Amino acid sequence: MGRSLKKGPYVDEKLFRKVEKMAQQRKKDPIKTWARRCTIVPEFVGFTFNVHNGKQFLPVLVTEDMVGHKLGEFSNSRTFRGHTNKKEGIDDGAKK
Amino acid sequence: MPRIAGIDVPDKKKMYFALQYIHGIGPKFAKEILEKAKVDPDQRSNEVDEAALAQINAVIDAEYLVEGALRRQVQQNIQRLKDIKCYRGDRHRKGLPVRGQRTQSNARTRKGKKKTVAGKKSVKAK
Repeated sequence: MGRSLKKGPYVDEKLFRKVEKMAQQRKKDPIKTWARRCTIVPEFVGFTFNVHNGKQFLPVLVTEDMVGHKLGEFSNSRTFRGHTNKKEGIDDGAKK
Repeated sequence: MPRIAGIDVPDKKKMYFALQYIHGIGPKFAKEILEKAKVDPDQRSNEVDEAALAQINAVIDAEYLVEGALRRQVQQNIQRLKDIKCYRGDRHRKGLPVRGQRTQSNARTRKGKKKTVAGKKSVKAK
């Protein structure tokens, strides 16, 4: 179920202002952010965001194709260390 | 056997159903196409004359994505998700469900046939 069109896309305002400021100063430093739920708008293209995944900030270089997605889609928050190695019968980090 | 949209040759069925043998055309589009081409949906496909067939072909060509072109588009959309390395692309790459379904059980359509892991229960007993 998508978001109501009436509301328009959700964009984190502080983040957006920050991007605008950078654009004015012609700077392209990575922007550290927790706003995973923020939609990527065309103005973000070309910037790098360090998007928090709950633990670290993963760098995301925004390209044109990413417009319309959320920042969080590019910063995976799960770690999958693989299944049990059955040959040796030792757990590879999975619980149980 | 009439040819519509390339290679498809549905036969002896009512046009409304015959059209649905084409990839990308279901009940809704079949109805729309026949309305636009002014062809009776209940007419059998082998009884439809050449002119009407041409009309149907013209409508499909102009307004609908079917068969190869549609498949290509779907593939491209998936490829795009993979290329931008977003979560959904990741799920496609891993062959797991893309839309948040559970994977502890079920999800066999995406994961394929069950792969039994020997001694899985006994690991727990240890």
